[in-house]
Amino acid sequence: MKQFFLLILFLWGSLLTAQNTAIGHNEKLGFSASYNMSGLLTEIAQVTMQTSEVKTSNATLLRLKCSAATYSNFDNYFKIRDLYESYVSPTTLVPYLYKRDINEGSYYKFEQYKFSHKTKTVSSTMKKRKSEQTKTVKIGANTKDIVSTIYNIRNFDFRTLNPNDTKSFTFLFDNEELIINVKYLRKETINTNLGKKECYKLAITLKNDDALKGTNENLLWLTADGNKLPVYAKFKIAVGTGELKLKSATGLKN
Amino acid sequence: MRRTFIILGLITAILAVMLAVTPLSKIAFIPSVAALIFGLIAFYFSRQKQYPKKSIQLIFLLTIIALTITTYKAVFTVVEVGNVEELKSKEKESEEKAIEELEDLELDELPELE
Repeated sequence: MKQFFLLILFLWGSLLTAQNTAIGHNEKLGFSASYNMSGLLTEIAQVTMQTSEVKTSNATLLRLKCSAATYSNFDNYFKIRDLYESYVSPTTLVPYLYKRDINEGSYYKFEQYKFSHKTKTVSSTMKKRKSEQTKTVKIGANTKDIVSTIYNIRNFDFRTLNPNDTKSFTFLFDNEELIINVKYLRKETINTNLGKKECYKLAITLKNDDALKGTNENLLWLTADGNKLPVYAKFKIAVGTGELKLKSATGLKN
Repeated sequence: MRRTFIILGLITAILAVMLAVTPLSKIAFIPSVAALIFGLIAFYFSRQKQYPKKSIQLIFLLTIIALTITTYKAVFTVVEVGNVEELKSKEKESEEKAIEELEDLELDELPELE
């Protein structure tokens, strides 16, 4: 009987933590991505993160859309038009469909994942200019896509963590399961385009991939309020360092 | 020594001009400053031994051109997104396709549509 109550308590607890408390259904965040070289910042692209409701004949889903477009002065040199989408449950942010359509210079790639959470598989379709590949990939119980993982990080209650505690998230990218470790460093007040904000300072590392370089050099600042807005991010990649700054935010939940 | 600094000055000055015309023009400040320093050092050696200064003048000329272009672009270039009509139509098309695909998927634990 005791075990039964403990199980109920655990399930109730996990249900509570999994609820969407931070993401609005009509939220729009606008960012500016910059390349940093010796302190000289060059604004490269506009990044938008937008949510909207999508209705099918028997359900309502939340569409999480991230798009990136280079500024006009870069278009002649290296034009980027990327679109990442995830269709998730509005209450638990569990993904059902993920799409990635990237146009970077002359490179094109389309990727689609259809999640089957009952069988713990993903039906993956990958298209390039001259090839197409379809396969079924086995995933773990908590594996998501990259877009819903970003939103799940925002939705996570960082009040439950102590400084230097790490929380891991698993996501599928290029048909491979990657683990992102989010280390809560401390609370920090920074100047943002929305004014002075108290933020959770987080260090991001990828466990089984070397796309992000260095330790504690890929940082994310989420506002320490109900919306947990990603106001500022610093990242170190192979070709240098970059920054992502929040420029505008509308349709917030809290 | 003088020749080394002239070569270094020319290389950095040409690099500065090349970077100044690209969208990463702000980075051109770094080779511009380096070219100025190399140019000044080469000028100092040339003055000591009364050598010709034509190539040093070229370094300064290229550096001034690079700095002018970079400063002009930094002050007057307005950062704006180019043509995103294609992206917008792709977003709309993708949503319509996604709704069709979601109809076929087993959407467990989802709230019913009211």
